[in-house]
Amino acid sequence: MIDAVQEPLLVVEDSNEDFRMLQRLMQRFEVKNPIYRCSDGDEVLNYLYHKGAYDNPRKAPRPSVILLDLNLPGVDGRYVLERIKQDITFREIPIVVFTTSSNPEDIELCYQKGANGYLIKPMDYKELHNIMRAFVNYWLEANVAPTIKY
Amino acid sequence: MTSKIFQEPNYNHIHIPGSIQPHGVLIALSLSLSILQVSENVEEYLNVRPENLLNQPLSTLFGAEYIQALQSLLTSTSQTPTNFNFLKVTLNTANGEKYFDATIHKNETTIILELEPTFTKTEMSFLNFRSLIGDVVSQIQQTSKLSDFLNLVVSKLRNLTQFERVMTYRFDESGAGSVVAEAKHQELISYLGLHYPESDIPEPARRLYKRCSLRYIPNLNAQQSNLIPRDNPHTSQPLDLSNAILRSIDNCCIEYHQNMGVSALFVIPLIYDQKLWGLITCHNSNPKYLTSEVRTACAFLGQIVSLELGNKIVTEEFDYRNKLKLLQSQFIATISSADNFIDALIHPQLRLLDIVSANGCAVCLDDEITLIGATPSLEDVQKLIEWCQNTIDEDLFSTDSLPKIYPDAEAFKDFASGLLVLRISRIRRYYILWFRPEVIQTVNWAGAPNALYEFTADGSLKLSPRKSFEVWKGIVRLTSLPWMQCELDSAIDLRNAMVGIVLNKTDELAKINLELQRSNQELDSFAYVASHDLKEPLRGIHNYSNILIEDYAHLFDAEGLDYLNTLVTLTQRMDTLIDVLLRLSQLGQAELRKQFVDLNDLLNNIIEMFRASRPKDNFEIRIPQHLPVIECDPILINELFTNLISNAFKYNEQPHKWVEIGYLEGQIQKNDTPSPVFYVRDNGIGIQPHHQEIIFRLFKRLHPREKYGGGTGAGLAIAKKIVQRHGGKIWVESNYGHGSTFLFIL
Repeated sequence: MIDAVQEPLLVVEDSNEDFRMLQRLMQRFEVKNPIYRCSDGDEVLNYLYHKGAYDNPRKAPRPSVILLDLNLPGVDGRYVLERIKQDITFREIPIVVFTTSSNPEDIELCYQKGANGYLIKPMDYKELHNIMRAFVNYWLEANVAPTIKY
Repeated sequence: MTSKIFQEPNYNHIHIPGSIQPHGVLIALSLSLSILQVSENVEEYLNVRPENLLNQPLSTLFGAEYIQALQSLLTSTSQTPTNFNFLKVTLNTANGEKYFDATIHKNETTIILELEPTFTKTEMSFLNFRSLIGDVVSQIQQTSKLSDFLNLVVSKLRNLTQFERVMTYRFDESGAGSVVAEAKHQELISYLGLHYPESDIPEPARRLYKRCSLRYIPNLNAQQSNLIPRDNPHTSQPLDLSNAILRSIDNCCIEYHQNMGVSALFVIPLIYDQKLWGLITCHNSNPKYLTSEVRTACAFLGQIVSLELGNKIVTEEFDYRNKLKLLQSQFIATISSADNFIDALIHPQLRLLDIVSANGCAVCLDDEITLIGATPSLEDVQKLIEWCQNTIDEDLFSTDSLPKIYPDAEAFKDFASGLLVLRISRIRRYYILWFRPEVIQTVNWAGAPNALYEFTADGSLKLSPRKSFEVWKGIVRLTSLPWMQCELDSAIDLRNAMVGIVLNKTDELAKINLELQRSNQELDSFAYVASHDLKEPLRGIHNYSNILIEDYAHLFDAEGLDYLNTLVTLTQRMDTLIDVLLRLSQLGQAELRKQFVDLNDLLNNIIEMFRASRPKDNFEIRIPQHLPVIECDPILINELFTNLISNAFKYNEQPHKWVEIGYLEGQIQKNDTPSPVFYVRDNGIGIQPHHQEIIFRLFKRLHPREKYGGGTGAGLAIAKKIVQRHGGKIWVESNYGHGSTFLFIL
């Protein structure tokens, strides 16, 4: 098993509070993976393509999983998903959508565009706890990420 | 005078009677002025036996200077009648000097010289003429209305002629006449308003009236004086007396007037637009002679009247047209600005009648019929409209004799002998019908009608105005006054304006609809976005409160912890409210995924789900009949039934709760096909009548939150939205305290 340190998690989340909750839960679950955060769609693309503030590739390592919110300022999550899955260099990266939207149209659309999972942000604190537990268990611990090509 | 007499073949020969009236002498001359015929009364006036004059040159009677004057008169007057051109002649007879007014005219082969005795030998001076005519002309010009004008003319003519009765006949398009103006001796019965059939003045008589400017019969009862010889010796034909002033009178004419008690008759034809428009007729009970001066003045007046008539008729038509136009523009202005188009059309009621001068009107807008003024019964009008729908293909249809084409109309001829139909829409049943009564209803007869009845010895009605009136009544039976072109134009203009207004309104509606659709969509997408964005901070509050409870519980006392827990509950409640908003906005935005759904299967699934989720509850779901297959969005209809059924159990305090689901076949029309009315009936708490509307409002609850298991108050709002998305309708019937029935069509 590859060292978790080498398997960064990229969280795309515009809400500071939501991100803080996520960090808190990750700490609880003693997640070792480094966590990177982008707050909007454009930032994700800059991160992946090493542009703008991310022109130093060392500051922006290729993520082994992306946790993607859909409703983002600027370019929204649906577009980001489509861009990444259409790019041959990135499309293997598992993307798990994490959103408030329970709209069946959104769910269908995301899978069609190549999302690898779809999680609904629950309102209830306990449920959130359970969902994040499951995410960590599966995507960060059980699942084998594709080999990173440099 | 009556149809019987009109059939007599002799009637076409009134211009060749072979005799003259005896108040003058007629001498027919060849073109070389040799005497061909004379009236037998020549001896009485000139003291010469007729046979002594025949074949003699005119110079036997007249000196060379008179002959020259007569010849020049002949060339100046040619063939036209000579009412203005009298020549004063003085003849020496065996009885001494005699004065005559001579007129002369010529037809193809013959010169006709007429002499009337007179008392003056001098020409009428201009001043004399001026004193006769007076200021009639200037007064005539001052009147503007046709009726005032005609009344003025008859009264002036009565002054001038001193006849007992002077009246104006007017001919309508069919040739029938009516008395439209009258000046009379006060003791005479008025003929004003009397109508005559066309046959009273038959075509040959009309032709003669059109040719000559006057007809003068000073004594109807005088023995007529025959021509000697009877026929023109050159042509062997009777002498054409069409233009002869002295032409004798037809027997029927004599009888007719005798029956009216008339002995002297003087007629001035009125010509308008080269047609015989009417007659000014003067009656006197005793013989009455007019001097040539007076007759010249009358003829002159007649020509002035004919000329001025055109102005008055044109003005009258113009005024009427203007009145219609004015009415119409006012009308259109009010209906186009009115909110309630139909109301504005109907009120004030008289306006709608005046616009085409009708007595009654029916406005039909689909099944709604409004009657205005004098109309047939609603039932008759309904049948008539059906007939119009099936028979009439034009937007405008008019008849002045409806019973002739629609026999049922005879029953209501007093209201609708005349019909004008305006179709406003080809698609909708939008009509305006105007009615006019049988013309007899509109006749306003000033006199006492019975006084005009005169019977012969055998009891039959005598040839008389009353008889004429009866004949005329028979002819105009079942007809109304004709619709004038300007009235038809007025109706068509009204239609065009209304179509324009309706189109505008439709345009406006379409615009509003589009706007509404857009704003509805915007509202839905707004609700969607807003509820999403609302959720984020709400989740923050919720999560942070939980962190406080989890990690910092030791810092709070029991009361503090209670507040924190309430905070968490409130965030959860707010979350469910936002979910409802989201759901509603989704319902408004998402496409319907319609398919054919067997409602029995759909409900079985729902029932199973209810059983599974409430294993301990005592409830029953009845479906007494087999449900149909309908086209709908199954997910939404599932939600609809689930909402209604769960409400039925939620608001139910019975120990044994039940719900019945069924449908009523085809009771309500939707898009012209009968739609089943579905119902969900329960034995629950029921809903009071004043609550039956508001329960469908979003977040509207009738009970405190804790009662009946809580809930957001959105279930029925969602149900309503689902039904509306299917183009249907939902409502509730309830017996308060005993249960409710929700009914809907899709």
